[in-house]
Amino acid sequence: METIKNQLKEIMVNDLKIQGMKPADIRDTEPLFGDGLGLDSLDAVELVVLIQKHFDVQIADMDEGKKAFASINSLAQYIEAHKV
Amino acid sequence: MMGKGNSWKDRLEALGHWFFYVAMRLFGHAGGYVLLVPVVFCYVLCSRKIHDITRPYLRRRFPDHGFFRLWLDTYKNLLSFGQVLVDRGWLGLNRDASLQGDFVGYDKLLHAIKQGRGVVLLTAHIGNWQTALAHLENLPVKVHALMQYDQQAVAKHYFDLQGKTRSFEIINADGPFGGMIDAAAALQRGEAVTIMGDRYVKGSCSTVDFFKSPVRLPDAAYLLAACTNTPVVVLLVANTGWGNYQIRVWDPFYPQHENRDQRPAMLKECSEQFALILEKHLNQYPFQWYNFFDFWKQ
Repeated sequence: METIKNQLKEIMVNDLKIQGMKPADIRDTEPLFGDGLGLDSLDAVELVVLIQKHFDVQIADMDEGKKAFASINSLAQYIEAHKV
Repeated sequence: MMGKGNSWKDRLEALGHWFFYVAMRLFGHAGGYVLLVPVVFCYVLCSRKIHDITRPYLRRRFPDHGFFRLWLDTYKNLLSFGQVLVDRGWLGLNRDASLQGDFVGYDKLLHAIKQGRGVVLLTAHIGNWQTALAHLENLPVKVHALMQYDQQAVAKHYFDLQGKTRSFEIINADGPFGGMIDAAAALQRGEAVTIMGDRYVKGSCSTVDFFKSPVRLPDAAYLLAACTNTPVVVLLVANTGWGNYQIRVWDPFYPQHENRDQRPAMLKECSEQFALILEKHLNQYPFQWYNFFDFWKQ
């Protein structure tokens, strides 16, 4: 699980290019959207595609996405539960 | 022009719709068209608001037209829109009814779909766009429509009037993440997602020139396509006569960007391309623009 979280943080910084942050700066419980990391709906699309690319896990609909994208923790748990 | 409740205006609008439905039930499709002429004339003559909502577009499309020509342009614009509503109502009343038309560039659309990467179908509030959506049921893949769906509107979408099954699934753009996750998932399955590319409500947008004035256009469709490596196909509909229409498919384009930093420039370039296509279409069918508000202030 820690490996997945670290990978996700690397993706946020290197692929999504979150400005002014290093992977270690991102807290596991920080909200990804809105007031936390400040990602928007366009980033949600990019994240869905990146997750499929890096973990081969597909987020199929917005109900699943809403739960998974709450924080790094929830996203890592989702990936862990759906990895093949 | 959609009612949303029980105010006297909504009831009046519902009454107006009822008159048209009765005219078509008694006199057929032509009954609706004939009733339209005096109704539109009265609107144009008596309603200041009608001119306020059509002038932003008409002044830019016809910059050299004076007062009287613009008045006539308003009449033509509204008559054209009224014909779309009559057509929609007619199809809703008659399960077996259909409109005559052709699908120009259908092979381009099929070719894009056969690549198996999904396709973003970009359209606009031009011509009889809702009827065109109905024709997408012939596509070899499932079609989704990313839209805001007002189920309380008095002017029902035609597929609701008789409990008709829609030929596509609606992805609610008011849902979490603007429906983008569902749309991305559909594209990744090789399916089609239709999106209205003209009206900006919220979220990401690009500012581009449209008839020589800057306007904000929604650009999420292009990011969706870029992220899923999907072609964007612009699909515009033109009314070509009473009960006749043409669906035109423009050449597909493929939004691409290397990283998030390049995203804004890519989105703007795609928005410019779409604005140019809209202009070309409206240069040919100038009175089929149905965004009745100051589009340049959205």
